[in-house]
Amino acid sequence: MDTEASPFESSEMLATFLTSTPLLSMSWSLCDRANTMPSQGFVAEQMGSVGHLAFSGVQLGSGPDPTSGRNLEPLVTATNGLFFPLEHQFDGEEGGGEEEGKEPVLVHAGFLRIFLSVKSNPNFQNRMLNMIQNSKSIVIAGHGIGGTVAGLCALWLLSYLQSISSNISVLCITFGSPLLGNESLSRAILREGWSGNFCHVVSKHDVFPRLFFAPLAPLNPQLHSLLQFWQLSMTSPPLALLAEKLLDEGKSQIFRTVLASLEGLAKAEQGKNVTCGFWPFGNYFFCSEDGAICNDNATFIVKMMHSLLLNSSPSCSIEDHLKYGYYVEKASLQVLTKTSFPPAELPESSYEAGVALALQSSGIACQDESVARPAKNCLKLARRMGRTPNLNCANLAIKLSKITPYRAEIEWYKATCDQSDAQMGYYDSFKQRGASKRDFKVNMNRYKLARFWDNVINMLDNNDLPRDFHRRAKWVNGSQFYMLLVEPLDIAEYYRTGMHRKKGHYISNGRERRYKIFERWWKERPIKEEEKKTRSTFASSPKTHVFGPEWRKLESG
Amino acid sequence: MASVSLRENLGIREEVIKKACSVSMKTHKSAGKQLYVAEKIRNSHELVFSFPGSWSLSDWFIGSSFGEVNVDLELFPSLKYIGLNQIATVNGAFLNRFNAILDNTQFKKEVGTAVTDRKQVQVVFTGHSLGGPIAILAAIWFLEEYIRPDPKKMAPLCVTFGSPLVGDRIMSHALRRENWSRYFVNFVMRYDIVPRMSLTPLSSVEQQLRQVLNFFKARSQENVVEPSDFFVTVMRNALSVVSHAACKIMGNTNLLLETLSNFVELSPYRPLGTYVFCTGNEKLVVIRNPDAVLQLLFYTSQLSSEGDLPAVARRSLIDHLSYKDELEECLKMQSVTFLDDHHLEALPLSDDASATAESNMALKDLGLSARARLCLRAAGQLEKQKKSNQQAIDKKMEDIKNGLGKLQGYKDKCKHKVGYYDAFKISEDKEDFEANVNRLQLAGIWDEIIEMLKRNELPDEFEGRKAWIDIGTQYRRIVEPLDIANYYRHLKNEDTGPYMERGRPKRYKCTQRWREHAERMSNESLESCFWAEAEELCNKSGNPSIRDRVLQLKRRVEEWIRNGVLDEDVFLNGSTFEKLLTEHSLKNSDQNVVFQGSWS
Repeated sequence: MDTEASPFESSEMLATFLTSTPLLSMSWSLCDRANTMPSQGFVAEQMGSVGHLAFSGVQLGSGPDPTSGRNLEPLVTATNGLFFPLEHQFDGEEGGGEEEGKEPVLVHAGFLRIFLSVKSNPNFQNRMLNMIQNSKSIVIAGHGIGGTVAGLCALWLLSYLQSISSNISVLCITFGSPLLGNESLSRAILREGWSGNFCHVVSKHDVFPRLFFAPLAPLNPQLHSLLQFWQLSMTSPPLALLAEKLLDEGKSQIFRTVLASLEGLAKAEQGKNVTCGFWPFGNYFFCSEDGAICNDNATFIVKMMHSLLLNSSPSCSIEDHLKYGYYVEKASLQVLTKTSFPPAELPESSYEAGVALALQSSGIACQDESVARPAKNCLKLARRMGRTPNLNCANLAIKLSKITPYRAEIEWYKATCDQSDAQMGYYDSFKQRGASKRDFKVNMNRYKLARFWDNVINMLDNNDLPRDFHRRAKWVNGSQFYMLLVEPLDIAEYYRTGMHRKKGHYISNGRERRYKIFERWWKERPIKEEEKKTRSTFASSPKTHVFGPEWRKLESG
Repeated sequence: MASVSLRENLGIREEVIKKACSVSMKTHKSAGKQLYVAEKIRNSHELVFSFPGSWSLSDWFIGSSFGEVNVDLELFPSLKYIGLNQIATVNGAFLNRFNAILDNTQFKKEVGTAVTDRKQVQVVFTGHSLGGPIAILAAIWFLEEYIRPDPKKMAPLCVTFGSPLVGDRIMSHALRRENWSRYFVNFVMRYDIVPRMSLTPLSSVEQQLRQVLNFFKARSQENVVEPSDFFVTVMRNALSVVSHAACKIMGNTNLLLETLSNFVELSPYRPLGTYVFCTGNEKLVVIRNPDAVLQLLFYTSQLSSEGDLPAVARRSLIDHLSYKDELEECLKMQSVTFLDDHHLEALPLSDDASATAESNMALKDLGLSARARLCLRAAGQLEKQKKSNQQAIDKKMEDIKNGLGKLQGYKDKCKHKVGYYDAFKISEDKEDFEANVNRLQLAGIWDEIIEMLKRNELPDEFEGRKAWIDIGTQYRRIVEPLDIANYYRHLKNEDTGPYMERGRPKRYKCTQRWREHAERMSNESLESCFWAEAEELCNKSGNPSIRDRVLQLKRRVEEWIRNGVLDEDVFLNGSTFEKLLTEHSLKNSDQNVVFQGSWS
């Protein structure tokens, strides 16, 4: 009922659910096929009402150079509105004043170039169009670099489907993919409610998903041979042996650099801004020999990447990138069997036991205190206190119905003032109010309502509410009704207490943020055909409140 | 823990279980010849109806991937989620088979004779394998047909062995709400594949299933099919259902969970009634919590290691055929654990915990890992949470009564004026505003209850509780007219549409359905919203053709007043309804005189 955290740790259960479905193995087999056919760039397949798409991890020709000095570029300017929902800022403040100082959404320039070139390919466009017409849901996958292309493709598809109000489901599954963009990208995806559409599979040691946490410029040549080695291993294994020799020295240099950078990030205190430019988004599915866990908390993901790499070695971290087929197959059998666990170590509390089991599945042995303890702590940090946006919204509706009586009392106050012999109206009555019990109560109600609506705005700011919240009639009308009724009282209070002498005119200096937002909701509300019918008379409440805005102007005169 | 016998806990004598088992195995022989077999147990008053199975695929699945269809509410009026009006779904193939039996007049006659027998015959429905679902549907039909009209009649029993799952979550919910769940006892061997098969879409096993059914038909252990693939497919699908359910009951809020549900077909079927798992070493484990049973359907068959696969897969087929021998041993040993009595939410997680030795032994016998035990804990925790939610809601009943008392007072006062409907609609006095505040406060409480029902946060029994049905009806009768008055006062009908079609809140629809179900009414009980009809008719005034409708409404109003569900104040001078009647010259000349006399 309340926002209590669940007494169970379920990241492992979520991973089990995903593993029990055919999605992972299906996506992997397509990725595998795409890798062996690099000239195509992608493979597509329709299975009933599910469309499958996989991008090759081997990119020929104008391959990206992950090492080029400045490799992040703004998504907006480069793509001409392809990803418009990610550009859109509706965080309440008009003009986006609060966004100042925050980075725009940035993505890796090289990966974006690959995606744009695939997208302009007529063959791809046809397949895509076909898929959208014939599918209820679409899975987009990719291995390594293919995963970043899959990520961009999914973002584009989600944007496109939103623009045509389609309800096709999209799921992006990547295997060992490097990071794609910055923290603003991650935040924009959260804001759009898309984080549940991305699942990045990362094996215990694979260095590729961790690579971009480190400054890479100094390692340029080594990285070149690393990429070459991986690509050859996928296409022609005999040649890969040669490439491996070239790589030998580089291996440990890369490993050490990545580990050191991750160390710095993981040790950074919460809230402190240690940035590496890139940042994870969506869910991460960490798999090991012993099972898997799935979580979408970015801080947890970064710390986990660090913890898991601690017990690795340079060659492990490079070979693991090529072992996803093995992990996927292993996991799908493993979930059907019990994994044994040294019973003496299992804590009694359900939650603690769940955490211990989750860590075991991710491949961190509990015996290894120095690694296990920080991992445990950060899994606990990732414990969700909140609920899903839809649940929050439903709870908010309950709260709304509980505070509505306060609003009704103000309405009544207004009605009695309007009718009283003094003919003063509720604005002036409230402004000149004495110490009566009734005046006190109205003022209290005003505060309670303000607290409720400020909380609504606060939740919106934190992405705790559905993204179309501000377009839902219940809330647009409710907030408008509230504003028309109560804002005059706020204005009365403003001038009663002489705030205008200190701060200046109400509209420009004293108006609460919530009213500006509600006014915008009302202006931007979707208007249905039937609402355009004119009413025979105005219903009592809206009619009498149209003067709301007038009060503000009157006082300034 | 003091040991309770199977008989005391389940309310079934061991002989009945044995007899049911042997009869239901024997009945298979009459498949194709007879629809059912009725047999009296010697020297007692039980009459056993047993249903044969079938080994043809079309009797297991029809239609889409899980072959579910809505139940026929004429036949099974209780199988729904009342307030939210959600109808239970059931496996269509099973329903077809049952309907064929019901069409057989001999069956109805024989059951009817048993019911009317003076010697209080206990009717027992039973079936093994596909006979199980038919026995379950027959028992539900019996309960609807005989027990609901007359709860004093002897309730039936339903005992199944290795039965596939029949219906969805709503079916199990409805049986628990009606307090019928206890009459259903399902025996399941630890590895028997059949009860788990219902969690797999037909499309993924069709070929293999044919072979498996042939194997069951031949009953010879020589006739080997390669069962490993089949077992793995069934278990994997079972795991999808079970792990998805576990994420939900553990409170996982990750959006990925929602996304994934759009990509995989999850079986709608859920276990119902009591489950008795046979561990395979002559012990029995009894469990009733439906979420826990679902988890056990997967975890009791989980492999210990990959190497076990061939043996377990084979066992999963053989177990389906060995109920008779196994049960005989189990009933002799009488080693029974009732898991629900052991605080599911705090079950021991590992084998060596010695505190509650009995439950630990049972968990070990079922082969449950720590992860499986955590799922059982979550199921137990959820049930506990639902109970405490209910307690919190029960405490609010006082607030509701207070609010209703105040509004009743308001209503009485308004009888001296135009009646409370119109007084509220005009809303010019302090009392009117206070009534509005009361109305809104009550709406807040009820909306919360409805929201909890929607999210399944209350115990299944909630909607069957008389106190809540009664106060819901009272609430609806007193307060709904105010909501209607408010609706038409603000002219919401002009941009939203008529109240009944577009504006009626769920809290009234829901409480109305509670009453209709509890009193088995065939007509809608719309006494609380006649004002909406009156308003709509007023809006059409000037149109002479509506006179008939006004007349009809008046007759219904008079009947409601006679039945005491509506007050006479609706006829008060100056009320919306009175004006409507006057306009169509339908007013009884005596009406007002009488009422005014009694109130002034």
